[in-house]
Amino acid sequence: MDQPQRIVLAKVGLDGHDRGIKVVARALRDAGMHVIYAGLWQTPEAVVRTVADEDADWLGLSLLSGAHMTLVPRVMELLKQAGLADTGVLVGGIIPEADMPKLHDLGVAKIFGPGTSLDDIVSFVQKPRERTP
Amino acid sequence: MIAALFDRLRQGDRNALARLVSQAARGEHLGEMQAALLPSPSGRGAGGEGNCARVVAFTGSGGVGKSTLIGKLIPLVREQNLKVAVLACDPQSPLTGGALLGDRFRMGNSTDDGVFIRSLAAVSGHGGLAEHLDVIIRLLETFGFDVIFLETVGSGQGDVDVRKYSDVVALLVQPESGDDVQWEKAGILECADVVIVHKSDLPGADQTAAQVRAALDLSMAHAAPVLRVSTKANTGHAELWQTIQVLPARRQQPTAARLLFQAALDSLGQRFDAVERTRDAELEHLADAWRRGESSTPDAINSLLRILTQRI
Repeated sequence: MDQPQRIVLAKVGLDGHDRGIKVVARALRDAGMHVIYAGLWQTPEAVVRTVADEDADWLGLSLLSGAHMTLVPRVMELLKQAGLADTGVLVGGIIPEADMPKLHDLGVAKIFGPGTSLDDIVSFVQKPRERTP
Repeated sequence: MIAALFDRLRQGDRNALARLVSQAARGEHLGEMQAALLPSPSGRGAGGEGNCARVVAFTGSGGVGKSTLIGKLIPLVREQNLKVAVLACDPQSPLTGGALLGDRFRMGNSTDDGVFIRSLAAVSGHGGLAEHLDVIIRLLETFGFDVIFLETVGSGQGDVDVRKYSDVVALLVQPESGDDVQWEKAGILECADVVIVHKSDLPGADQTAAQVRAALDLSMAHAAPVLRVSTKANTGHAELWQTIQVLPARRQQPTAARLLFQAALDSLGQRFDAVERTRDAELEHLADAWRRGESSTPDAINSLLRILTQRI
């Protein structure tokens, strides 16, 4: 049997809007994943530590504050430093189109904007991923 | 691969620890892990691997404040320069296998190297705990944690398995959680080494504490302390941690011989499984004969074991 994938969902920075991330958490749970909800107001350092300790396959970041070009690069850099560059990083929230290529260049696997269907998110993370042992 | 992960674990690589905990939780490579966790033959006598942590379990119904309380105790443990790991169990869906593991966000967002927090999914019917906790606890001990906090799924009156894995069982109750007959029932209250009346800022806390004390006083053997703690009012945590530290460690440390036997047993199961997967003709023949009623079940089992023992 396939083992459930583990995904950390977190909000970094000073952004208190957590309705979206909770809806996504529920959809992923109901799709059979193990969702570690890391909550609001996380620092990039704390998020990366959570990914490490939880041995997560995926990290989903929700950003509605406009600070994505500050916070996401920092998270990507810290993941690399922690030896966790193989984590699949997803970004959800309000990301202007102009910033999307920059985030993809940093290694973000997928960006889900407003109006994304939950099915799209679920089927994206259910694709099997190769991780370093 | 397990050997490489264990090398990294012993060098203090927490990514390796995290990966090994995942594998143990899924029941993968248990035999190899048991073997790798055995004390070295030159080693330290019968007490298992050198480091031995104090395992403190926190149990009680959902919403009583287990995660929040653990979050408040972590800094007290760190003040003493002890390293602390948390294993936080939450339920896994019996329908989808999915789980929302939502304990750690109540425990602070520390990046302190002396703190390791791990969320684990627990299937139902397992006493509110994840599987293979014995191996996971030994992994954490090998990594060097001094204190392990074990948080059960929000659990009810009969979830007493937690006793097996912990030195101290802390039961959390809250004010207004039932009349005095609730405390007379057998089960978790008997197993508690300390009872915490959490949210003791709420009305009724004194009465609840008195009822629990009265119920405990009736039993011959047990005199678990009953403490009032309020995280909202920030009272009682230091006293609680002091109490937990001086309670006797109940957990039976397995002897080295017992650990060796357990490792062999797990390895045996895995090897039998491997033989079974080869669809061995003789095994199939045996199973067919048993299905047709040509051999009794005990005879079939004996023949099966004989064949398997030859094959491994």
